[in-house]
Amino acid sequence: MKKKKIVETMRLSIFEVFEKMFYIFLEPLDDENNEYDMEAAIRFEGFLSGEIRILLSKDIAKIMIQNMLGLKEDEITTQAMEDCSKEAVNMICGNFLGKFDSTKVFNLSIPSFDMDGLIRPLTMSSTNQTPASAGINPKSIDPDKNAFRMDFGSDAGGFGVLIAVNGRV
Amino acid sequence: MSFNVLIVDDSNTMRAVIKKVISISGFKMAQCIEAGNGKEALEALTNNWVDVIVSDINMPEMNGFELLRSLKEDDLLKNIPVILISTESSDEKIQDAFNMGANGFIKKPFTPEAVKKILCEVIGESNEEEEDSRDDETFDF
Repeated sequence: MKKKKIVETMRLSIFEVFEKMFYIFLEPLDDENNEYDMEAAIRFEGFLSGEIRILLSKDIAKIMIQNMLGLKEDEITTQAMEDCSKEAVNMICGNFLGKFDSTKVFNLSIPSFDMDGLIRPLTMSSTNQTPASAGINPKSIDPDKNAFRMDFGSDAGGFGVLIAVNGRV
Repeated sequence: MSFNVLIVDDSNTMRAVIKKVISISGFKMAQCIEAGNGKEALEALTNNWVDVIVSDINMPEMNGFELLRSLKEDDLLKNIPVILISTESSDEKIQDAFNMGANGFIKKPFTPEAVKKILCEVIGESNEEEEDSRDDETFDF
């Protein structure tokens, strides 16, 4: 039940952030996409704790910036892609937690960013670690454990999300 | 009438986004001043008069709540309306913001319409678009 709620809430949050802030309409994909160029991650703690990692193709990151700031393609800098990715993961996480339970207070970490095209495993810091949450290969996530992956497509490019929550869900 | 707006956010990109969203919302902005955190905002206010402050909460050096507290302790600045803007949207956090004297709260993600509505509310300016749409509704009815 909680797992279904996490996945559904996350999907709604992603759609809301992308439609309102970036004017991009995402379509959920059945198959995993591994054509990503950058990632941004954030940790959250509170009633629910864990990590959210977003994966972006360079194409979608550029369109996000163009739509959000009205810049031309040749005006887009690496710094802008980093800021935009961090802001996106921050908004998705905040929106997700607010939708999940608006009566609870959560603490969010400062988002991190990497642009080397590698998809890192999710790592958990809590004592509640389980084998699944201690290190997740996104290609082999067990759907019965507390880690989830969602991939989306759009006219602008690919987007993915990895979520891990502490404890059993 | 146009209004001076101080935007406080540690991300250059987010400041640019907020500025753009306010512009396209149709809110009449005269001057837009930017600051990277609460401390810079207080410095900017020594040289500039603003009609409203739109501030992020999580920032280094001085966060949005600390900025709000400093403003409320200053007789010259305490009446400037402050809108806090954040991804954190728990009921408790929003209530904390209002208890500390914030005049408005904008949840990210936001639309230009939502931003304009809150700006107009805290400044006491009429939101013409909203009134127009109400007029339309009355006419249609």
